[in-house]
Amino acid sequence: MHGTAAQEFLRHSVEKTSDLEHRRIIRWNIDNYDTAVGRGKSRFADWEAARDRCQQIKREALAHLDEYLLQFEKQVIDRGGKVFWASNSEEAREYIRDLAVARGVKRIVKSKSMVTEEIHLSPVLEKAGIEVWETDLGEYIVQLRNEPPYHIVTPAMHLTRLQIAELFRAKLPDVTADDHQSLVAAARRALRKAFFSAEMGISGANFIVADAGMIAISTNEGNGRLCTSVPRIHVVVTGIEKVVPRLQDLAVLWPVLATAGTGQPITTYSTLIGGPRQPGEADGPDEFHVVLVDNGRSELLADAEQREVLHCIRCGACLNACPVFRHVGGHTYGATYQGPIGSVLTPHLRGPEFSHLSYASSLCGACAEVCPVRINLPHHLLENRRNSVRAGDEPVKESLGFKLWRWAMQDATRYRIFGALARTAARALYSMGYEGSSFDPAAAWSAYHAAPEIPKQSFRQWWERQDGKR
Amino acid sequence: MESASQSSREQILERIRNALRARVPLPASRAEPRGIFSPIPSPLERFAAECAANYTELTLTANRMETVEALTKILGELPVGEIYVQDVPELRELITRADGREVKWSSQGPPSEASQATITQAEALVAITGSILVSSVGCGGRGSSIVAPCHIVIARLQQLVPDLERALAMVTERGLPARSSFVGLITGCSRTADIEKLLVIGAHGPRRLVVILQQ
Repeated sequence: MHGTAAQEFLRHSVEKTSDLEHRRIIRWNIDNYDTAVGRGKSRFADWEAARDRCQQIKREALAHLDEYLLQFEKQVIDRGGKVFWASNSEEAREYIRDLAVARGVKRIVKSKSMVTEEIHLSPVLEKAGIEVWETDLGEYIVQLRNEPPYHIVTPAMHLTRLQIAELFRAKLPDVTADDHQSLVAAARRALRKAFFSAEMGISGANFIVADAGMIAISTNEGNGRLCTSVPRIHVVVTGIEKVVPRLQDLAVLWPVLATAGTGQPITTYSTLIGGPRQPGEADGPDEFHVVLVDNGRSELLADAEQREVLHCIRCGACLNACPVFRHVGGHTYGATYQGPIGSVLTPHLRGPEFSHLSYASSLCGACAEVCPVRINLPHHLLENRRNSVRAGDEPVKESLGFKLWRWAMQDATRYRIFGALARTAARALYSMGYEGSSFDPAAAWSAYHAAPEIPKQSFRQWWERQDGKR
Repeated sequence: MESASQSSREQILERIRNALRARVPLPASRAEPRGIFSPIPSPLERFAAECAANYTELTLTANRMETVEALTKILGELPVGEIYVQDVPELRELITRADGREVKWSSQGPPSEASQATITQAEALVAITGSILVSSVGCGGRGSSIVAPCHIVIARLQQLVPDLERALAMVTERGLPARSSFVGLITGCSRTADIEKLLVIGAHGPRRLVVILQQ
């Protein structure tokens, strides 16, 4: 049933684009988002200056990435924490699973973390007989539906309140009503039991703060706070690129992340954590582990042209701005990271099987305009396309076509003859009703669009006639 | 496991160092961008406005007497059950005056799941976002600001700083990263907008955040 990732992408795109209810839900969500973000940006005296600053911070962080990671690591170790460096997903998963098994962990509460999605952590833990509870409301909803997150910031964006109510009534014991408030309360009751019985909490990190030696987590619901306060082991899973040099940098990055992500002035709980419970503290976990995941990031770092892709702070703004995302939806990408940033990143993280995503863009540039750290996303999509063509990942028809074109256009007579041949052939093909069929070399376009009428004469012939009239 | 990590650590660091040999041209160095945020002429006014916007209940009191009154009133509204209090002399004194409740002190361990409220001090208050800054060493641990449905903060006007830059500088000046395993900036009560992007107050953390600010 399943084709290649590229075929699946096309199939789902067609399905979702013609699903008007889906489009209505996404439009409703993104309209609410746009209103909030508009208000949020007006709180800045100079939003553009804030973007400049964030870009500068991330650029500096990456330019000395090794030093900053070591500075961070040393302080975590000094406080009694552990830092594990994972080259790839497998190493990260195994470390966490082995740790959980060794400590006799039966239940894990997770706060939202895209890196744990990227490394496919939960299935490995569940296979080891451990219960894994997603505790961010959106993540909890998609977990109950056995679905991956739809959107990096709003995992259940594709669902209406009524669909969620139906899901909760099927899965939770005490759903009283289906208004927003009651649904949130039902999830709170269910998850509260998990928070207080879990032995391990797993979180991501929005930032790794080098000078303070702490990680920063932003959460609105407070689930991230509970995951990192109550269970006796806290494991942080994060990418090596999340570094910022100084605590002071958060004075801009915290408000910028919140504004671009949800339109809030700052996330409700903007938290710094540097280790396990210290002497004299009332509570906190006994163990603190940080898993630093590379998984292809150092390769991207080596690419001077695309290094800035690692600036991404996962705010989701480019997804919301993207006309392609709005139509095909998050699940269609078949990847952990959706939208423009996902289309740039996924071919790097998961290989050439996903190079088609770099073409899932009209290059309109809306993503680059909203990106709070000024990543030039359309540019990187083009670079990805060029790189995959260079690597030989190009349809034979396309490479032959371009070779022929190059040869033909180097000589005026050749060009005239080929032009006349192509026109005649196309007119004949279309008059026989083969438009958009596999015989049509322009099928990728004409299968979905009415082809323009092909003129009988060439531009050159037309020009000569016009000029002659003068 | 340990040795595997050791080699991965070296490999990752080496990959990073090799990668950084490819220099990315930095843009012409710009002066530190200024004026990202507007100046704050009246921190207290701004703090009060932000609290109103983010659903923090702010009570201003003129003296200790009024603080006790305000606290007593709030505790009176709460259902029966444990009140968790940061164990410091200032709060011990307040609580003995606002008595009649079952109290657990932070020196006796973490707050229980069924706590009705937590009472703590703050490291600072931040005007620009209407936030309170807490730490685990200075504010009775981690659970003291997240476990109960109501978090009450007892603060003084001198603790109010205008912006995040000042608040974060304070974290460094007080040496909190070295002493405190947790530092948190809290802005309003727990919330979510995960269903249809509509705001609901009271997700997993406190539904009420109360700041009693003595001038």
